[in-house]
Amino acid sequence: MKRFSQLAWPYLVWAALMLVLPMALIALYSVMEPGNSIISFSFTLEHYVKFFTDQDFLLILWRSLLIAVKTTIICLILGYPVAYFIARSREKVQNILILCITIPMWINMLVRTYAWIGLLSEGGLIQRILSLFGLGDGELLYTEGAVLLGMVYNFLPFMILQIQTSLSKMDHSLLEASADLGAGPVQTFGRVTLPLSLPGVINGITLVFLPAVSSFFIPKLLGGGQYFLIGNMIENQFITVGEWNFGSAISMIMAVIMMLLMMAVRKIEIRNQGGKEE
Amino acid sequence: MNKGKRPFGKILMILMILFFYLPIGYMIIFSFNDGKSLTSFTGFSLRWYRHMLESQDMMEALYTTFSIAILATFISTVVGTISAIGLSKSKKVIRNVMDQVNNLPMMNPEIVTAIGFMLLFITFKIEKGYMTMLLAHIAFCIPYVILSVMPKIRSLDPNLADAAMDLGATPWQALTKVIVPQITPGIVSGALIAFTMSVDDFIISYFVTGRGVKNLSIVVYTMSKRVNPSINAISTLVVVIITIVLVLINLAPILAAKSRKAETVGKRRRLLPAAAAVFAAAAVGICAVNLGGGGSNRPFEGQTLHIYNWGEYTGENIIGDFEEETGASVVMENFDSNEQMYIKVANGESYDILVPSDYMIQRLIEEDLLQKLDPEKITCMDLLADAVKGLPYDPENEYSVPYFWGTVGIVYDKNKVDLEDLEKEGFNIFLDEKYKGDVYLYDSERDSFMMALKALGYSMNTENEQELQEAYDWLVQCVETMDTEIVTDEIIDNMAQGRKALGLIYSGDASYVMAENPDMGYYMPESGTNLWSDAMVIPKNAKNPELAHAFINYASEYDGAYDNSSYVGYTSANQEVMDALSGEGGDYEGINAYIPRSDNENDEVFVYNEDTKKIISDLWSRVKIAASNAG
Repeated sequence: MKRFSQLAWPYLVWAALMLVLPMALIALYSVMEPGNSIISFSFTLEHYVKFFTDQDFLLILWRSLLIAVKTTIICLILGYPVAYFIARSREKVQNILILCITIPMWINMLVRTYAWIGLLSEGGLIQRILSLFGLGDGELLYTEGAVLLGMVYNFLPFMILQIQTSLSKMDHSLLEASADLGAGPVQTFGRVTLPLSLPGVINGITLVFLPAVSSFFIPKLLGGGQYFLIGNMIENQFITVGEWNFGSAISMIMAVIMMLLMMAVRKIEIRNQGGKEE
Repeated sequence: MNKGKRPFGKILMILMILFFYLPIGYMIIFSFNDGKSLTSFTGFSLRWYRHMLESQDMMEALYTTFSIAILATFISTVVGTISAIGLSKSKKVIRNVMDQVNNLPMMNPEIVTAIGFMLLFITFKIEKGYMTMLLAHIAFCIPYVILSVMPKIRSLDPNLADAAMDLGATPWQALTKVIVPQITPGIVSGALIAFTMSVDDFIISYFVTGRGVKNLSIVVYTMSKRVNPSINAISTLVVVIITIVLVLINLAPILAAKSRKAETVGKRRRLLPAAAAVFAAAAVGICAVNLGGGGSNRPFEGQTLHIYNWGEYTGENIIGDFEEETGASVVMENFDSNEQMYIKVANGESYDILVPSDYMIQRLIEEDLLQKLDPEKITCMDLLADAVKGLPYDPENEYSVPYFWGTVGIVYDKNKVDLEDLEKEGFNIFLDEKYKGDVYLYDSERDSFMMALKALGYSMNTENEQELQEAYDWLVQCVETMDTEIVTDEIIDNMAQGRKALGLIYSGDASYVMAENPDMGYYMPESGTNLWSDAMVIPKNAKNPELAHAFINYASEYDGAYDNSSYVGYTSANQEVMDALSGEGGDYEGINAYIPRSDNENDEVFVYNEDTKKIISDLWSRVKIAASNAG
């Protein structure tokens, strides 16, 4: 039986080359003087200093985090009731509804985002509907609202599916027990349903927040050329400015922030599970 | 249960599904639109589908997307399954470490993973293209396969394989006959995740691709600046393919369950239709690509020409005609700025022809990245206008053959903008709050600084840091007080539809806009502007210089040059074409933007200076950030 463990060796080599080495390279480039090659390496922290001493860069980082938080909150508010409804449905209906939510996820994200351009642009459907209510004046495309909408649209299914999974695993007799013991529907939801669905909520938050922070084509397509988030800043450094060392430093900063946030989320999750066992 | 809550839930569900399908439905409807507009439906037509089928870019992207997805799914499923089995029997330390490593692509922001791959390929000088894209896709798919196979393996009885071997099975038989059938559901769902991830991927592909290899996402991203309903057509095609695959996958188990109840074979049945559907989808893609026929006895039969050119910078037919005539196939990749092009070329990516601007050609020559043209093979020089030959960046035209040329100016809506304001203020009209919220800037560091420097009365080639700083302040004031939009090619369709009053624009784009919308005008300030020219050059590391020379001649001769210039709107370097298009009955008759001016002594040609370039580049990023933070 042990001999099967040899099957993993090729992958260990592959993973070292294709997963670990790239990260090591980013770290290396981020502390390298500009124009340096790996061979004539000389160490510097100037790129990190440049980022953290500049208000404009910090403001971009802040705005990226903020819009990701907004996206996550909206996804949670919209996604939870939907997931709850799906989990409550009969199994056949449940499968169909899940399929309905999965199909758009299979369609290319860029294509789906592009589709919003026509809907939001001047004289487009959304503006015409809004103008029926006398709200048609403002520009819709190339605003922060458009970016937020694009993000919610793209990432909401992750939230719904995660919460739905944890809700449908829940044992229904718990709800009956709670009702039998005299809890009202609100109390049952607060004391039983919500805590049990928390792992799904946390997974959902991770799956929405992570891509929302780093997304760069949603802001570019729906926010326009002057709408910059941290992802656009990284793209810009690599594609048009050509300062890869600075770009690598921004990437490292972003990766570390994400890692810290994920660790914090995990902690909450673990503490929560610990609480349940008591 | 919860009967009272049902109506609320149902309404919510309906709204949600409407929300998810509205853009998709809208896209499908507009793919059949007769007109070019994305907002008003003018009649049914299959025009954009024809367009799509004729677009080599799109067909190749479809092929690339699905062929990579299928290969990456297949390889990562096999490797992932084998590795998962291996890992499950490995020591705990190794297992834990590998859990962390596999988490890297899942827990890192995707753009970070993408940059890691890009740096890897560049550091080890692996040429970016189809192979690198495939490798990257395999690399990010395997962890998902392992993740979905692992739980199934853990739930197996660890003695199962031993039992099989005790009964005389070889290890191979134990693996394929005992273990694999038990974990098939995990393998199937892993394969499905891998396939979705690969088809859906944009960010990683975007950073690791090269040599004109594009998947669907990259094509949509690069084409999205111009209104192009063929994007809707190809998206609709993808929606249809994906829906068929999904429905088949979901129906398969139901059908299998109906035909025979609860047999173990049923589990395997799931895989077959899924695989069949995937391959059917691939076949559609491959057939579509192979529509183009072949020929024989042509000088460059079977060879490939890699061109790196500006977006929307070639005529409708020139590439097809050239391929027809020579038998070669052309792969075109587009850039939106000289800087973007430079980074790729300086990092060793190989193209046969580039079309950079004046100052960039100078830089490429200085850095020894170009090869001299073979004067014996260049037969087109006499056809070109004298005004674009022998310019300071390449005085003898040893390296370059002009392609398009023109000026930079202000496109304005005659109904909204007073010509007097333009004449009085020149480029300073971009600070006039009368037009607040009604202005486009162009996302080009050189030309934005040109505008600011000219507005302040300086030379656009200044090396004086004080003057550059003033220009920076001018631009910051502009983005902070004028509520500007910074665009690239989006300006063309938007100005043609009169969406804003003013914009900084290249003369050729202005010609196009004015030809589409007679209310638009083009103004070149008296304080001077940029007299630019873009020319074809052959980089040192070109793989097929012979074919490149042939193309340079082809694009400079009357037919090719006419097709380019009349379709795109930029001024041809070919004198005869220029005369024909601007003369009586020409497409651009009476349009002042088409003929570059030659009588203003304040006009200049860009000169490359490394230090200034760095300063401008850094300051321009900051202007954009200021614009973003102001909005």
